[in-house]
Amino acid sequence: MEEFFGTPDEPRLPDGTGLNLKLIETAAGPVAGNADGTEQGLFRQHCAACHGITGDGAGAMATTFDPYPRDFRRGTFKYTTTRADAKPLRSDLRRTLLRGIPGTGMPSFAELPPEQLDALVEYVIYLSLRGETEQYLVQLVVDEGEYLPLGVDAKEMVLEDAVLWVAEQWAVVEQNPQEYVVPVPPRPVCGSDAERAASIARGKELYASKDAQCAQCHGPTGAGDGEDERIYDDWNKPKKGVTPEQTAKLARLYTLPLQRLRARDFRDGAFHGGSSPEDLYRRIHIGIKGTPMPAAGPQPGAKGVFTPEDIWDVVNYILSLSGEK
Amino acid sequence: MGNINRRQFVAGSAAAAGAMASAMAMPRTARGADDAWGDLKGRLVYDGEAPERKKLVVDKDVECCGKFDIRDESLMVGEDGGLQNVYIYVRTKDVAVCPDLEKSCKEQVLLDNRDCIFMPHCMSIWASKQKYYIVNSDPVAQNVAFTPLLDTPANIILPVGGDATWHFKRAQRAPVPIACNYHPWESAYVLPLDHPYVAITGKDGSFTIPKLPVGELEFQIWHERVTYLDTKDWPKGRMKMKLQAGVNDLGIIKIPPSALEK
Repeated sequence: MEEFFGTPDEPRLPDGTGLNLKLIETAAGPVAGNADGTEQGLFRQHCAACHGITGDGAGAMATTFDPYPRDFRRGTFKYTTTRADAKPLRSDLRRTLLRGIPGTGMPSFAELPPEQLDALVEYVIYLSLRGETEQYLVQLVVDEGEYLPLGVDAKEMVLEDAVLWVAEQWAVVEQNPQEYVVPVPPRPVCGSDAERAASIARGKELYASKDAQCAQCHGPTGAGDGEDERIYDDWNKPKKGVTPEQTAKLARLYTLPLQRLRARDFRDGAFHGGSSPEDLYRRIHIGIKGTPMPAAGPQPGAKGVFTPEDIWDVVNYILSLSGEK
Repeated sequence: MGNINRRQFVAGSAAAAGAMASAMAMPRTARGADDAWGDLKGRLVYDGEAPERKKLVVDKDVECCGKFDIRDESLMVGEDGGLQNVYIYVRTKDVAVCPDLEKSCKEQVLLDNRDCIFMPHCMSIWASKQKYYIVNSDPVAQNVAFTPLLDTPANIILPVGGDATWHFKRAQRAPVPIACNYHPWESAYVLPLDHPYVAITGKDGSFTIPKLPVGELEFQIWHERVTYLDTKDWPKGRMKMKLQAGVNDLGIIKIPPSALEK
């Protein structure tokens, strides 16, 4: 790992990842100021207390948060403009930095200069690439034990099969955003209160429909009190066994205890991925990656349960629950 | 794929992207049609009394799903002792693929949501050639969720009568568990590979992997109860053998119940 990625003080990258090492170096290392006024060690200054120095989401403060700070090592990011089967764009991560995640411990970093935001975004991708490679290596060691399949150069295999593979998944999205970004059609204008009420009523019906199953987690009235109380995100699912004893045994393998996922209570009006109608449209269309919240809109290969018009009706219904328009 | 292509692609060269796409479409290490190929067959038998399959808790969509006798599928033993749902697949990297198999490969692998369970329970897929076609035959909405290592996680809603197509971007080293977020009792497995050399034992425990390249090959044997099916002859669920042309019959292989306990 060190050969590929260096250390938290001296990061390194193999050729061909497409990441900007200069930016990564600005975010890495101990906190310091340079004579020209530029700063170093941005990740440790702003992020590591919660997200951990390796981006494992288990920093010193992590246990005090619900939900926990993001563990970047799975390579999954919840709030993106890209479709369900794609990595986020850099601009998605940047948006999260700019506005924070309302209702969680993630603050806004809007006061940071643009070049520092760029450096942090690049560093998060670097940690994610490193983390996914680490997962691959752990699996490899578990699978292979002390030897590797015949005739394989192990280092080249890890580079090809993990590091550059993951880098490519990030690169294709950045290079072809038109293919991966889910377009948000203009929100239909409700010219009168009656039109708005009709859209909300349609949205309510769609929300309650058996096809979409929204109420199963979010509850019949959107209070986040659905019958499925024991829901978990992909970061917590592996800590969960079938029996309480198995769960206790599994949980010991992890730094942070098992944490249940709470479906959003729409009456609060604070939405983690942003509260604008367009943000809500995307959450419903794309889903929330790494959670049980599925993509309800049309995706390549799947028609989905809602048309774009349906999604706008559901957005209007959800906004009506918190008194928003 | 040569690594130079991937590196250039990530660096942003459109020409290299084209080269990569064509490299992906190339059949691997093709042998001539005259080369000899061999089949591997055998039958796995559970060497003990068939365990009772527990009834699962069905507490969602009860009006529909409650009428089915839904039972644990994690250890399926047939009437004649056949051990079902064991994966046997080639583990040797870059195995040569018989051109006949390229031609006869079916376009898709089907996963049906039927009677409130996944059917079939165990599947495999040649990732670069086959698509995964998922349908819902139940009168209630279904969900299909899986998270393959370093591949895109799937979380698909299937309305009544709905369908979806999924493409695995890469092969996996072991079967990937499939869950339904709506109905927690549902479970299945799919193994995406970069070759067609895999068999899943049937109800009678038998399996055949056709047209393997002759010579030394290593196989992985996997069962969901224990992952790697570790026995005296198959340490870590692995078996090396020298394939001969024609049929290579392993005969009846008895699996002690202890090998299926964690």
